[in-house]
Amino acid sequence: MFCYYMKYPSQFTKLFFLGITLLASGCTQVSPWERGTLAKPQMALDPRPVLNSLNAHVYGSREAASGGGSAGGGGCGCY
Amino acid sequence: MAKKSSLHALTVAALALPGVLTSPAVAAEDNEASLQYGYYQEGERNTSGLANNLKPIHVDTLGSTGSLRLTDRIKLGFNYIQDTWAGATPITTAPLGLMIDGLTGASSHVNTGKNALVDKNFNPLKVDYKEVVDPATGQVSYPTVYTSSAQDKQPVHMMTSASPETRKQGNFSLGYEWDEAALTVGGGTSVERDYNSSFVSSNGRWDLNHKLTRLNAGMSYTNSDINAQRMSSAAGYIDYSRQSKSGDNAESPITGNRQDWAANIGLSQVLNKSALVETGLSVSHNEGYLSNPYKATTFIFKDPNQSHTIYPDNVFVAELTDALENRPKQRNQLTWDLRYVQHIAPVDAALHLDYRFFNDDWGIMAHTFAASWDQPLANGWSITPNIRYYSQSAADFYQPYFTFNQLKPVTSSGGIAYDQLPITHYSSDQRLSGYGVLSGGITVSKKFTKGIHLDAGFTYFNHAGGLKLGGGGEGSYADFDYYMVNAALTVNLAALSLGNQSNIDHAGHHQHHHSGHAPAGVMFDHMLPKAGDVMLGYRYMYGRQAGDMLHETSPVNDQTIAGQACAGGECTVAPTYMNMHMHMLDLMYAPTDWLTLMLMPQFVDMNMSMQSLAGISPVEVHKHATGGIGDTSAYALFKLFNNTSHHVHTAIGISAPTGDAAVQLTPGGHHGGVGGYIHYGMQLGSGTWDFKPSLTYTGQQDRWSWGAQLNGTVRMQNSNSSGYALGDVFQTSAWGSYSLLNWLSASLRGVYTVQGGIKNGFNGVHPTDATVDFANNYGGRYWDVGFGLNAMVPSGDLQGNRLSFEWLQPVSDDVNGYQLEREGALSATWSYAF
Repeated sequence: MFCYYMKYPSQFTKLFFLGITLLASGCTQVSPWERGTLAKPQMALDPRPVLNSLNAHVYGSREAASGGGSAGGGGCGCY
Repeated sequence: MAKKSSLHALTVAALALPGVLTSPAVAAEDNEASLQYGYYQEGERNTSGLANNLKPIHVDTLGSTGSLRLTDRIKLGFNYIQDTWAGATPITTAPLGLMIDGLTGASSHVNTGKNALVDKNFNPLKVDYKEVVDPATGQVSYPTVYTSSAQDKQPVHMMTSASPETRKQGNFSLGYEWDEAALTVGGGTSVERDYNSSFVSSNGRWDLNHKLTRLNAGMSYTNSDINAQRMSSAAGYIDYSRQSKSGDNAESPITGNRQDWAANIGLSQVLNKSALVETGLSVSHNEGYLSNPYKATTFIFKDPNQSHTIYPDNVFVAELTDALENRPKQRNQLTWDLRYVQHIAPVDAALHLDYRFFNDDWGIMAHTFAASWDQPLANGWSITPNIRYYSQSAADFYQPYFTFNQLKPVTSSGGIAYDQLPITHYSSDQRLSGYGVLSGGITVSKKFTKGIHLDAGFTYFNHAGGLKLGGGGEGSYADFDYYMVNAALTVNLAALSLGNQSNIDHAGHHQHHHSGHAPAGVMFDHMLPKAGDVMLGYRYMYGRQAGDMLHETSPVNDQTIAGQACAGGECTVAPTYMNMHMHMLDLMYAPTDWLTLMLMPQFVDMNMSMQSLAGISPVEVHKHATGGIGDTSAYALFKLFNNTSHHVHTAIGISAPTGDAAVQLTPGGHHGGVGGYIHYGMQLGSGTWDFKPSLTYTGQQDRWSWGAQLNGTVRMQNSNSSGYALGDVFQTSAWGSYSLLNWLSASLRGVYTVQGGIKNGFNGVHPTDATVDFANNYGGRYWDVGFGLNAMVPSGDLQGNRLSFEWLQPVSDDVNGYQLEREGALSATWSYAF
């Protein structure tokens, strides 16, 4: 099976940026002094990057859809 | 005016707060270091009643990350990770009726060759004799019948076990930050026995819209070389001819190269005061040898035109062969992810919702849904339950086994003539099958004051074909479960000293006066000065043996070793080097002024190489590696005497046998083929409860300091669960040190060590062809000289952090039996008291 977006890359990219634009237009302005909640550790996109990197490592060795999340990394570790 | 400046201060503070739009590519905060440990354990596989005495795979992972702000705008980051794994995984799959059950101790395996009977649809047939009574004559006869049961058609894994192996990866990154952007470049390398890779990456970040929006983009390139030994445990089963090059023999490794390019873009957006969203797109292109050199596929050939002289027309003789899997040489992958974080005000929690979509041109489509609830509690505790669901469809070229309605095509050398097969790509690696994984777990975190953070998590995973989204997943024979336990300790080196100046001055002052600068290799060199004090430390020790083989104090030649060193038998191999790395965490706490308690968990990893002795028919050079949690020790240090220049204390310690002393080699994987216990020196712990007393004296005058220590290790049991006990150790050491600068001192040390021989010996199968396999080749008497440097950061963000190094140079070895000479040992410690 071929990936549909690999057949239609331009449509997919347009869709992606359309989504982003919609997303950005839907937000309210938050002044810097109103960002106390957002600055709490539990509100980080990844509150535990160190621990989660170990989990990602397990996913990478047991699931076909590995990597892709961030650039960088190497090695097999194919256990 | 006052209002304006406080508003300004708040604004600046809010912008500087960590946690606002942390990019996944930005790993650690400034001046932060962390140490992580993970343990992965798989459950037993379903072998449908076939014998399987192999232990499922488990993995020990040790990692560390750190980041250091070099200037206001330049940041240096590093990561190190190492995995050691051992145990069994599936190598191939075949219908149960075409497997041979393992006899005493052996693993079950595919019935390769021209031995199997199948019907026209490739269903395995069993020969049976049915009792038939002739109704006319009453005569009983037993004609042959061929039956096929549902159970015989059921696919089942053939398992194979690997001796312990280790992968190590290190990488660095250098980042430059502008006010609203950052650029990071990095690179690293990963080393395994059979797989080496190097990679470079760059990531950019751009904050816009008053930092409410962040754009990320990154690229990476990886180049890997594969150099895999053929699996000796599967010798004769697997056809390697497709991967072989001209001139290869049965021992030649499978070699290949692969290259990976990846790029990603991402956008994070603050939606409102209590929600944010992130989305990212990444693509990667992989090219080269993308197969797994340890996975085989079972081919079942049935010649439809075979003559039926022995068997009836509906019974066919099939030929089974296993071939090393062959994946396409290219792969394009695409991942899209969406993450949403919502603050739940009534309980101050954060709800994290993640979705990830994956697709590649191998036909795999995967969806991942994850949710977690991050709940802060009182006193710096927080608890985060999480759930995750992953589902993937199978690769186009995946099947548990392949059937061919043709005579097995063969080449002149007897291998499969692959060009005469109707397929080019094939894999039975279950990671490419259709399945789902449902997992759930919990993470508990504790934030201590002064920038110390501990996270510990447990996750349980259930992998099942039946969990595949939309159905149609792999059969239940391939289901299994696994769990992961992990812990991470993070220390913010700068935060440690913030708001803690008086303590540091006190601790530094105290250590300066009472323990001087003991060299890095000296343990328990100081107590904590006063009740309530805490010290956190990390200790790394590296020891290497290489050079001559010694008998007592003299080098010996190969002939002597071959004839004398293996307890009456003939030695065929001897070690050429052995490396040992120990990573220890040093946790100290003083409940009272005269008592300090100390806990020291450790992680060890070792590797070695052996080669044939001269005059012995050469066997291939082979390397072994082990690694994992070592023994854990706890100590109580008592103050005996203390004044301004002299200090005496004693330590009473117990070491618990948390390290594995029963690490095994794979049968067939070793040159002798017997497998069993890997030799004594490569075991991860003593296996016994040990008593560890010591007595330490330190003195200090002006720029000089000095000290002496007696310490010992007494095994409290005569044997461990593997049948032996390491020898007792007695060590005496004396040192002097001089302060070159107010932050740097140099030390010189003399050490004498007596290490007793091993008591008893392995109580099970173990190789007997190397010097190191025999208990009488352990222990000895050693002299060493140590050269050390000791630094304490006197000011700035990292004030109070202490670093020490010491190189221990062997002066004389007097070994029991026959042993490899020592080359030296390095100790490095970091500590911080507060």
